[in-house]
Amino acid sequence: MRNIGLVLRHEIKTTLEKRSFWLTTFLFPLFIIASTVLPQLLARDTFQEPGLDTLLAAAQPQSAGYVDAAGVIAALPPGFPPELLRAYPDEASAQAALAAGEVGQYYLIPADFVATGDVVLVDSHFSAFTGLDGGTLMEYVLNYNLLGDLALARLLIDPTPSVTMQSIAPATQNSADPDDPFVFAVPFAVMFILFFAITMSAGFMLQSVVKEKENRTAEILLLSVRPRELMLGKVLGLGLVALLQLAIWMGGGWLALNQSGNVATALTDFTLPAGFAIWAVLYFLFGYILYASVLGALGALAPNVREGTQFTFLAILPLLVPIWLNTAFTQAPDGALATALSLFPLTAPTAMVTRLSISHVPLWQPVVSLAGLAGTTYLFVLLSGRFFRADTLLSDASLNWGRIVREVRGVRLHLTA
Amino acid sequence: MSGPTVSLTGLCKTFGPVKAVTDVSFDVYPGEIFGLLGPNGAGKTTTIRVMLDIYRPDHGQIAVFGGRLDEGKKNRIGYLPEERGLYKDLKLEPTLVYLATLKGLDEATARKRLADWLQRFDLYDHRHKKVQDLSRGMQQKAQIIATLIHQPDLIVVDEPFLGLDPVNTRLVKTIIEEQRQAGRTIIMSTHQMYQVEALCNRIVLIDRGRSVLYGEVEQIKHDFAGNAVVVAGQGDFSQVPGALEARRENGTWHLALAPGVSSQDIFRALAARDDVKIERFEIAEPSLEDIFVSVVQGAGAGEAADA
Repeated sequence: MRNIGLVLRHEIKTTLEKRSFWLTTFLFPLFIIASTVLPQLLARDTFQEPGLDTLLAAAQPQSAGYVDAAGVIAALPPGFPPELLRAYPDEASAQAALAAGEVGQYYLIPADFVATGDVVLVDSHFSAFTGLDGGTLMEYVLNYNLLGDLALARLLIDPTPSVTMQSIAPATQNSADPDDPFVFAVPFAVMFILFFAITMSAGFMLQSVVKEKENRTAEILLLSVRPRELMLGKVLGLGLVALLQLAIWMGGGWLALNQSGNVATALTDFTLPAGFAIWAVLYFLFGYILYASVLGALGALAPNVREGTQFTFLAILPLLVPIWLNTAFTQAPDGALATALSLFPLTAPTAMVTRLSISHVPLWQPVVSLAGLAGTTYLFVLLSGRFFRADTLLSDASLNWGRIVREVRGVRLHLTA
Repeated sequence: MSGPTVSLTGLCKTFGPVKAVTDVSFDVYPGEIFGLLGPNGAGKTTTIRVMLDIYRPDHGQIAVFGGRLDEGKKNRIGYLPEERGLYKDLKLEPTLVYLATLKGLDEATARKRLADWLQRFDLYDHRHKKVQDLSRGMQQKAQIIATLIHQPDLIVVDEPFLGLDPVNTRLVKTIIEEQRQAGRTIIMSTHQMYQVEALCNRIVLIDRGRSVLYGEVEQIKHDFAGNAVVVAGQGDFSQVPGALEARRENGTWHLALAPGVSSQDIFRALAARDDVKIERFEIAEPSLEDIFVSVVQGAGAGEAADA
């Protein structure tokens, strides 16, 4: 026990003394903001579907013109700003107004418009993405004149102007507007934080083991510490460091939300379910131990950091799957895919916590998932402990698929023997 | 003589198809410096690792401090491995304190002893430097401190003079001799045969995983003495009955004896002569290096002939 404590303290001390650790700890939140909140902010501004009044209010100050050869437009709808649409008697005068910059575009309503429904838009600056809002406004004006009914014309443009959403899912704790994209930033952020906290701290484990092989301290240590004690001391020490890092991120995020009244207003409305923090810490701990033991075993086999990190991506691949499929969590957090990923032990650490942050998950699911994760973690720790042997820790043999297969077979035989 | 500190009998260790050690036996006693010799790849490092319970043997018996090596006994061992190193990106003092605490010392004692050792090795002013910023010789001295700081009863050093200048080599030799005089057991593996001759009481020579030579240094040299004598004195020693060849080397005469002629016969013949005065008469002994080469090469030639 004393040796485990000494290794644990050594790992904490040496990791906290690394400049790279603190750089990562404090730069990472900026990365999270850049990769979660900002895209949501941009998405809201770019893709949010505007209502008719929003369109009228936000219409470009530059007017559009029209030439009504069909004689359909007798009047503009009540409340429609007249400066937005200017009538011209013929196309030549509309063309001249366009050239003079009086209007940015003009519509040609042909004589057979009522029969064909065709309208031609002439724009000074062609773009596949411009003029769409202007088209909606012209459609509104035409509908009003054809129908002679303002309310009906508005309904044709915006059939559901005042829908009140009412969720029939089990009651959630969130009072925030579910349509607000900021709300989706929270599960994204939770997913990223869990992923990086687990993989970074597990990565420290790999580096710590391989460095002791590279700098030849392993042999001296093995005369004082049993390989298992070495592994346990490292896993626990780096786990505490990872918890500190997680606390800094979570605490920093909480402080930022409380200090900022502007951008984060929507986020402050987003209340995480009761007990979320406990679940998050439990899933983080088991997830960390699982992946740290896997990467630790890789470190025990690899002769140097370079060869060890070549296999890191494959080792952490299961944790990446929920990130690749993140839309499944925001759009259908209780759907089959999100549920399956949150119950599968290797993806559960990120998947279940993400679901817990956004949806009201039935209690049995996190309980069963956590039990599965704990059991799998126990098996992986046992398995990885088999790789922490003097002959692997003192070996210079290169790490390749053939060797991994041989080692795993050897361990399996050993376990069944 | 008290019981051996280390006793190995019929040690065998294989790694897959490779037989690293097939039959190694020796005893090492308190208060002696024991040389563990052998060519590269002979199995010395594997023998040490098995002896120190880093590897488990396939066969054979190992007794350290009179029995099986448990965790408590490991703290009584100081080990300077052949492939050594320290945490390069850590500072010297905390690195050595960490290694000392892993050997059972409390931190305060470790720091106190470390200060003395650092001053003795002229490293005290470098204690706050990172290990990677120290010279190779300084790192070697730091390794020796890590080996000795917990005052081990059994000291196993593999190439302890590697990378040291003559001044520091002499310092380390003095320290090793001090440890021996303090009653500690020292096992030294090195390829520097003159250091073995200067320091070791007994040796074992391992070749191809087997003990091929084992015993007291003087006795081994005597056993390997060629059929020759060295004579110093006044007069002409070129014509001595029973001597096939006489050559003068550094003021002494090296006489090669004819088959069936013993050194006693030569001594009697010289003593009977009035024209010579004998000041020194001794059996010519080969150097340990000559013995090492002849044994290793002889074994290799023998195996080649058998094949």
